[in-house]
Amino acid sequence: MVQERRILYEHLDVPNINTFDVFRQYEGYTRFEKAIAEYQPEEIADMVKESGLKGRGGAGFSTGEKWSFVPRDIEPRYLCCNADESEPGTFSNRYVLEKNPHLLIEGILICCYAMGIETTYVYIRGEFTLGKKMLDAAIKEAYEQGYLGENVRDTGLNINIYSHPGAGAYICGEETGLIESLEGKRGQPRNKPPFPAVQGVFMKPTVVQNVETLCNLPFIVGNGVEWYTQMGPTYGDTRFDPPKADPNTGTKLYCISGDVNEPGVYELELGLTSTELIEVAGGLRGEEVKAVIPGGSSAPILTHYELDTRLDFTSLTLAKSMLGSGGIIVMNETRNIVDCLLNIMKFYAHESCGQCTPCRWGTPWVRDIVQRIADGEGRQTTITRPKFGVTESGRWGDTGETEEIYEDLDLLENVANNIANVDTMTWNTICVFGIAVSWPAVSYMRKFKPEFEAAIREGKLVTLPVAEATVPPEENYAYQQRFIPKEFADL
Amino acid sequence: MSDEIIQIETPFQFNEENKREFDELIGRYPVKEAAMLPTLHLAQRQEGYITPAVMKYVAELLELSVMKVKDVVTFYPMFFEEPVGKYVIRVCHTLPCALRDCKVVLDHLKEKLSTDVASETNLAKGTTDDGKFTLMKVECLASCDVAPVIMVNDNLYKNLTPEKVDEILAELPN
Repeated sequence: MVQERRILYEHLDVPNINTFDVFRQYEGYTRFEKAIAEYQPEEIADMVKESGLKGRGGAGFSTGEKWSFVPRDIEPRYLCCNADESEPGTFSNRYVLEKNPHLLIEGILICCYAMGIETTYVYIRGEFTLGKKMLDAAIKEAYEQGYLGENVRDTGLNINIYSHPGAGAYICGEETGLIESLEGKRGQPRNKPPFPAVQGVFMKPTVVQNVETLCNLPFIVGNGVEWYTQMGPTYGDTRFDPPKADPNTGTKLYCISGDVNEPGVYELELGLTSTELIEVAGGLRGEEVKAVIPGGSSAPILTHYELDTRLDFTSLTLAKSMLGSGGIIVMNETRNIVDCLLNIMKFYAHESCGQCTPCRWGTPWVRDIVQRIADGEGRQTTITRPKFGVTESGRWGDTGETEEIYEDLDLLENVANNIANVDTMTWNTICVFGIAVSWPAVSYMRKFKPEFEAAIREGKLVTLPVAEATVPPEENYAYQQRFIPKEFADL
Repeated sequence: MSDEIIQIETPFQFNEENKREFDELIGRYPVKEAAMLPTLHLAQRQEGYITPAVMKYVAELLELSVMKVKDVVTFYPMFFEEPVGKYVIRVCHTLPCALRDCKVVLDHLKEKLSTDVASETNLAKGTTDDGKFTLMKVECLASCDVAPVIMVNDNLYKNLTPEKVDEILAELPN
């Protein structure tokens, strides 16, 4: 059985680790001290790049690379720590804030030193009242101990951290939405480019990082790049010639919820499968896995045929899903996928910020279609359309045949794909919220089509047995197009 | 909404403690507008909800038009423009909580408080006649491991059952 590898969470349950004195007993702030004593700022940035650390918030973009886009000649620069954890199924940042806020502060200090940043805003979602209280108390202590403020530890560095409460909007977790919200406006995302690294908060260069990403920094500095890169697989992406190194290094705080016996946060090396993770989380509650959502509610669903997909950034991207924020939701055989999709679509229809027309109108439209199907009022008329499947060349594409499909299912796919197209990965909206809506809508419908068809045909929700509810692998668009990364190809 | 057409009977003002906190807040940002959300939170804590008078006061503090403040208030679900009960009960109903029967908890609360669920445009619908409780559904509260969860004002309650809900309600001071 896969073992937990606790690094970020190692001292989480130590009593009073939220106080400076106890945190100090567990190597607290020594990594920051090591950073300022032994390395130049640029060396820290290089270490982070070499470590292969990928942003843990959702997009999985290389942290070191993001930092390299920040122009170092424009002052002031800002750091925004994204603690607006609102992706359904994700709850790891909450525990860091509530139990071990000094670790986050140390991570912020290292980032500030590496990037020459003096001001950090920690954007905490409004509902995290306890988290904000604990962080504020820790910041106060850090000021008293001389780790924050002017001339930190007699190094000449000035570093300030301020916590900033959100007010319940999911979209403020998107980096430019967060920036707008921080500036005191409606949290409506900005067009990119310019990217926040160049023009972010107050139109100055800004680094936006998730809590978990920042918490990795003390360990990269403290234990070295070599130690860090030994955790998790580094793939050789063989789609490139020569193969390009694609690191999935480090641990991930996997948040597992839904139908497992022991839901919670498990810190594990990247690269285990869903089956292994369910085992770690006390096993399945129920008889059979029906579906797994691998990266928060935005991620395309995995069927029971796809449980061997490794839960890391590369493997899930190549399986046409994503690791996202690492929020894993497990569903057993009693769950109705139409009902689950309805719940998620209600969420997105509620949380659309209203800025772009396709999303503002499309999300309620998709919700209404699913509601109609769930209420047993799905339109029973059918239409004929080109059938996609495995073609003679062995690849996925237009087979030249036609298929009959219920009008509502075609409409559902069509509306969702016109918010953001999941096949071409292009979106008609400013931010990626569009794709976060159409990904679940299209993937649930395509992968569990028999259950949607049954609901329309029978005029009520019908929960089919797992094998019958799932589209077999040979007809599953994602399964057929998935690309299994070759581990440790010759680089 | 221009300033002339707002009917303000009693002007709003921060109490001393909140004024002090505001003065500390405003120094954190290079532009005053950025203090908007924390300032509105302070005002809502003092007044209970965001009245036109609060918006006018905040606009003056941050040197903005009232419209800009209203613009922000209407965007964020945590700011109320109508009176709410002394205890605001937020019931999470997103997927992980739904998989753990949050509906049972919600139905129990509805029955126990004999009230409907508030909508964002009609908070009165979910407020009890005595003004003690406002019941509302919210999206994911980021505690999916201990689902189903509710928040009563600032406190989170985990792994709920109807019996636990009864205990929580009984322990709330009047």
